[in-house]
Amino acid sequence: MRRFVFFSFCVLLTLGLFGCSSNTEEAAGADGKKKVTLRIAWWGGQPRHDYTSKIIELYEKEHPHVKIEAEFANWDDYWKKLAPMSAAGQLPDVIQMDMAYLSQYGKKGQLEDLTPYVKDGTINTESIDEKTIKGGKIGDQLYGFPLGVNVLSVITNDDMLKEAGVEIDDGSWTWTDFENLALEVEEKTGQYGSNGMHPPDVFFPYYLRTKGERFYKEDGTGLAYSDDKLFVDYFKRQVKLVDEKASPTPDESAQVKGMEDDFIVKGRTAATWNYSNQFSAFAQLTDAPLSLKLPPEQTKEKALFLRPSMLFSIPKSSEQKKEAAAFIDFFINNEKANALIKGERGVPVSSKIAETVKKELSEEEKKIFEYVERASESAGEAEPPEPIGSAEVIKLLKDTSDQILFKKITPEEGAAKFRKEADAILKRNQQ
Amino acid sequence: MEPVKDISGRAAPAPLPAGTGKKRAGQLVFHIATAGLAIILLYPVIWLIASSFKESASIFATSHSLIPDPLILSNYTEGWKGIAGQPFITFIKNSLIIVGLSTVGAVLSSAFIAYGFARIPFKGKAFWFSCMMVTMMLPHEVLMIPQYIIFAKLDWLNSFKPIVVPQFFGHAFFIFLMIQFIRTIPVELDEAAKIDGCSRLGIFFRIILPLIAPALATSAIFSFYWKWEELINPLLYLNKPELYPVSLALKLFLDTETASNWGAMFAMSVVSLVPVILVFFVFQKSIVQGISMSGLK
Amino acid sequence: MAGYAFISPFIIGFLCFTVIPMGASLFLSFTSYDLFTPPKWVGLDNYKAMLTDDEKYWGSLKVTFYYVLAGVPLRLAFALFIAVILNRAEKGVGIYRTLFYLPSIIGGSVAVAIMWRNVFGNDGVINALLFFLGFDKKILWYQDPTSALWTLILLSVWQFGSSMLIFLAGLKNIPPMYQEAASVDGANRFQRFFLITLPLLSPIIFFNLVMQTISAFMTFTPAYIISKGEGGPLDGTLLYSLYLFQRAFNFFQMGYASAMAWVMLILIGLVTFILFKTSSLWVHYESKEG
Repeated sequence: MRRFVFFSFCVLLTLGLFGCSSNTEEAAGADGKKKVTLRIAWWGGQPRHDYTSKIIELYEKEHPHVKIEAEFANWDDYWKKLAPMSAAGQLPDVIQMDMAYLSQYGKKGQLEDLTPYVKDGTINTESIDEKTIKGGKIGDQLYGFPLGVNVLSVITNDDMLKEAGVEIDDGSWTWTDFENLALEVEEKTGQYGSNGMHPPDVFFPYYLRTKGERFYKEDGTGLAYSDDKLFVDYFKRQVKLVDEKASPTPDESAQVKGMEDDFIVKGRTAATWNYSNQFSAFAQLTDAPLSLKLPPEQTKEKALFLRPSMLFSIPKSSEQKKEAAAFIDFFINNEKANALIKGERGVPVSSKIAETVKKELSEEEKKIFEYVERASESAGEAEPPEPIGSAEVIKLLKDTSDQILFKKITPEEGAAKFRKEADAILKRNQQ
Repeated sequence: MEPVKDISGRAAPAPLPAGTGKKRAGQLVFHIATAGLAIILLYPVIWLIASSFKESASIFATSHSLIPDPLILSNYTEGWKGIAGQPFITFIKNSLIIVGLSTVGAVLSSAFIAYGFARIPFKGKAFWFSCMMVTMMLPHEVLMIPQYIIFAKLDWLNSFKPIVVPQFFGHAFFIFLMIQFIRTIPVELDEAAKIDGCSRLGIFFRIILPLIAPALATSAIFSFYWKWEELINPLLYLNKPELYPVSLALKLFLDTETASNWGAMFAMSVVSLVPVILVFFVFQKSIVQGISMSGLK
Repeated sequence: MAGYAFISPFIIGFLCFTVIPMGASLFLSFTSYDLFTPPKWVGLDNYKAMLTDDEKYWGSLKVTFYYVLAGVPLRLAFALFIAVILNRAEKGVGIYRTLFYLPSIIGGSVAVAIMWRNVFGNDGVINALLFFLGFDKKILWYQDPTSALWTLILLSVWQFGSSMLIFLAGLKNIPPMYQEAASVDGANRFQRFFLITLPLLSPIIFFNLVMQTISAFMTFTPAYIISKGEGGPLDGTLLYSLYLFQRAFNFFQMGYASAMAWVMLILIGLVTFILFKTSSLWVHYESKEG
């Protein structure tokens, strides 16, 4: 008797399984256009999932012949999924893309060049700065369309700065000023003056820019800066700050579980180095007054740059490229959509939209927009997308940085080791 | 309740007679020591449960204290609402379907296959048996991509099929376990049935299967909770959130770039533990019986 | 022929879902494959680079061996200890069994990792306990590669439930007759345990040993989640599978990763073979069962 129930249970479940499979063929849609199904994928957290789903509903309403299937996950899982999809030619029609992966996917022929869609107006770029669009280009192929921009920033806890009696003139402060500030804060308040500038693969290249150098060679065949003293100076400073307890040790940083655990939120550091878009999350999580400051020494060499926070790309394998491009246009230029986005994916690339959205923002969110505007005044050329093999180089830099901070090797040894291995990696990936 | 009998018909050790002073003291010591050890070992679990009643933002700030203050239930109600338009019950339903089907498939097919290995002599048995053992030693990461491509070609993507269907072709751990078990059943039973006119299949269904029921239960438990936690296959093969099982859905609550909803995630983790614990508790007696009968001697 | 009929599901599944991917991965191990462009044949280059030019490879191998050699015996010993304690027909022993099995069930979810990191945090509960027991120095668990690895080892020991269960079953299978006879002859508890229980339990200890060793070599999820995919600090938790994963999915070097996988397969096969061969020295099979 029990076995019979068991087996009928199985039959029912099996029906359930097959009932959950994918789509069916459909006839023409209500507005006479052929019915189309778009798959759209993005990474993010719960808030992003929620509002993006609403935008999708909005789009489907205004374009009844389009049905959209949303696929989303958090950052880690997203890239884990994308890789096999790519290998099997099963990428979604619109993929959210990051600068770190743009080269890998673009140069290896996975992504479609969006230039035709810009040229024929499917993606309207009237109020979008050329420089910003260039961020998604490799050579003259536009592999991804930027959705927003962010800028490197130093986010400060102004109460703590006051307590330590320090002030920042962010239009003109130098690296030495920064170091002294961190030390002052530690002395006067016992807390950290800086969060340690993590991750090193973001801030070391910035340091190089302030000295007129670059991290990668234009053609991606090796490291651009030739003077190892730059590496040594940068890391010597980091070591000093850690030794003086003005910066946390690497294992302390590694134990930060998420934004609500971050040093700036818990009042344990006066300044933290982050991209501008992370400001609003921090501001939400703490009552202390926070503000965005331009990083040191950014004016002379135009070291700051507007970086695409994320992009939308269309894979070469997509069968609905025009419709996909239309969606991207909607996402960037539609007012109602952006009223929902509110700059969560970075300051909107369309200046018109940025103006409109800014009016509806909270005080804290406005700060980000204003900061990006300020930064764009003195910003230079954006960094090109990272070369192939950059993932390995980034890991190498992180490892080297850890070894230096854990006192396993000296900055000098680190500089030499890093150069040797990074060049080897980049060369290997040229073949 | 009958005392548990092992295969030779001997009874398990009888419970200690209560009332003898020294024995009572011994019992007390046993309970105190064991309970104490249990609490220490379970501290992390207790922490998890306690955290689920705290406000997200303060979970780590107050991580040393096990008492939520204030004690809130909103993590549970919020988490239950689900994520991106899918109520949490959808995820539970998906998990139940995937796990239910996989378990049934794995257990039945493994028993079937085990019977072939254990009872029927045939050429090449040793070869196929080694193949089976080898499948347990392969790191999954490298099989992932080729398997994905195969399933893409079969057009099974974005459905439960790649996760569930392979389960119907046997699982090495269970097959091995059941082989051991079947070996303890005297061959005379098989032969008696054959004389009575039973086919091999009949012997399988009427004699073997009922006698290895404890091993079936054991395998069912293991399969249930392995599949319940499985992340990688659902991650790869399920794109639409409405198909996500619980294991995957829990990850949606976390994000490195914005404030993660720890409270809801912990709350839903606790909720998702309940089915697994229930299944275990209900079956644990048969498990002990089951593996002991497999004669792993 | 009937035999093949019964094992046919296995053969079909094996051929469709396993053999082809296995073959593909073996082929890929001789290529350079970035998942996007077709694989390029490189012969033994991957293997050569792995064994002669890759510090991290040997590091991960060392870490993994340490993890197995420290973790497996500890876990089995603990599981056996608890199983012996719970091998009585006391009231409520079922509840205790469930409680001790609970850590296993929680498995490798993200919640566990977060909770574990918290427990071993600089101000976490473990340090508080050590302080309470008289140690006056805080152990910074995640600052040192070895102590970080120990948090992983302890995690695996904490989740001893499945091994415990199998031991419990094995203990129940030992005829009480032997214990009683020995008792009558004057043997005390310890003698009974070491001279009777252990030898009779040895086949099960062997089963657990083999199974746990194989799965310990392939450990991935705890290392991935607890170290956030980095294997830190300073590669202290970079288990073999984690490094393989990094090569495959972070660096897009599927060919190299496949080579790593095959080396691991051979390694596990070797270790298992050695375990089997040396088993005759210490595993005692009751002669009455074939």
